[in-house]
Amino acid sequence: MDEILERISTLLTTRFGVAEDEVAADSVLADLDLDSLALVEFGLVAEKEFGVRITEDEVSPNHTVSYLAELILAKAPVA
Amino acid sequence: MPAGPPYPEVVVTGLGLVTPAGIGVAASWARILRGEPTAAADPALAGLPVDFSCRVPGFHAQELVGRRLAWRTDRYTHLALVAAREAVADAGLDPAGWDGARVGVVIGNALGGTETYERQQQVLREEGATQVSPMVVPMMGVSMVAGYLAIDVHATGPNLVTATACASGTTAVGTALQLLRTGACDVVLAGGTEASLTPTVIAGFAQMGALSRRSADPAAASRPFDVDRDGFVPAEGAGMLVLERLADARARGATVRARLAGYGASADAYHATSPDPAGAGVERAIRRALADAGVAPGEVDHVNAHGTATPLNDVAEAAVLRRVFGARPAVTSVKGVTGHSLGGAGGIEAACTVLSVQHGVVPPTANLSRLDPRVECDVVAEAPRIMPVRVAVSNSFGFGGQNAVLVLSTA
Repeated sequence: MDEILERISTLLTTRFGVAEDEVAADSVLADLDLDSLALVEFGLVAEKEFGVRITEDEVSPNHTVSYLAELILAKAPVA
Repeated sequence: MPAGPPYPEVVVTGLGLVTPAGIGVAASWARILRGEPTAAADPALAGLPVDFSCRVPGFHAQELVGRRLAWRTDRYTHLALVAAREAVADAGLDPAGWDGARVGVVIGNALGGTETYERQQQVLREEGATQVSPMVVPMMGVSMVAGYLAIDVHATGPNLVTATACASGTTAVGTALQLLRTGACDVVLAGGTEASLTPTVIAGFAQMGALSRRSADPAAASRPFDVDRDGFVPAEGAGMLVLERLADARARGATVRARLAGYGASADAYHATSPDPAGAGVERAIRRALADAGVAPGEVDHVNAHGTATPLNDVAEAAVLRRVFGARPAVTSVKGVTGHSLGGAGGIEAACTVLSVQHGVVPPTANLSRLDPRVECDVVAEAPRIMPVRVAVSNSFGFGGQNAVLVLSTA
């Protein structure tokens, strides 16, 4: 879980313009300016990073970073 | 005593420039006055028949635009955002305090986010449709820059992008003048932006024969009005103006840089990409702008020419200038320094014309060593000319035969 969180955090800082100190497990995605379009983009990036597909209807800007991590972990428990 | 114009007077109170000559008005204007060309080999164009351009030096979007906004916007929006913020600050306006509903945004742009488009085109071909970014349309659409500027400076009044090819920025400033005269807005942020130095666009311009082929000596390639010119040098950049009515500017104690006195526009209806050699459309736009400003041709001290350095444009434009103004005005083309930034050019050159009016100096046309004998105008070369500039004209002409002309004068 921690490793996934760290990799998500890296994606958010390198690809989505979020500063490192702004990302925490309980950060709400909307507060990081991740709107629904940005989450579609995140899905594409995450597919390359984790080999799993996150679809539009699975995640919303009101979710947290740790929710994203759980979602990815549930789809790829060995990631 | 003359009756004066039938509309309230409109003035320029703020400027912003992001050009190959530098980031910011001070840096850009200094290099333009020095007449120091910016064209250089462009690694992004390596292997193309034309492999040089004029790029904005040291433009780090994440730092200048802000990281959260930079990744989701195209470079043509980045350049505009930075120029617009400078213009608003220069005007002494604070978006946190203004009535945004009275603030309009009118931006000229020709081609949109071609960098985004060309990159995603490659993703489509190589990885398939399911890998294409959902951001591609909002990043590339020509209208998006005005939308992003509205969000950035909280401007909730009329908001549009004018697309008249290489006249786009000038059309934007002229359209803004009309919004202020009619009272639709109290403040308009107007100008132009372009960042289309991408392989497909440059290859296309090269195929048209529009570009200089002076790859061996890029710095000497953009040579408006010179007998050895062989085409324009493609550039990127943005130029922004803050415009408001004179009475409002005075009431808030703003520094007035110049008056935006008139605007004229026309269409050649001649050929898709070639200028009408008789220059009838250009002449009509110039005369319309002069009439709109209420000034006679003999009053014009300075013309900031379109002056692209294509063989056709410069002689056709010079012939019209000679016919309308005689040999009196000091003519210049800043494209010798900046190259030609298409939809950005009108915004950049309107800003330069404002600076000429405000400071009484006309920049030299870089690389002009031997004037084309068919150009019977007083083209400023080698050094800036210090002179009173009471009335000045800024020309822009677009592929498609779209002509746009501004008249600027002392406040």
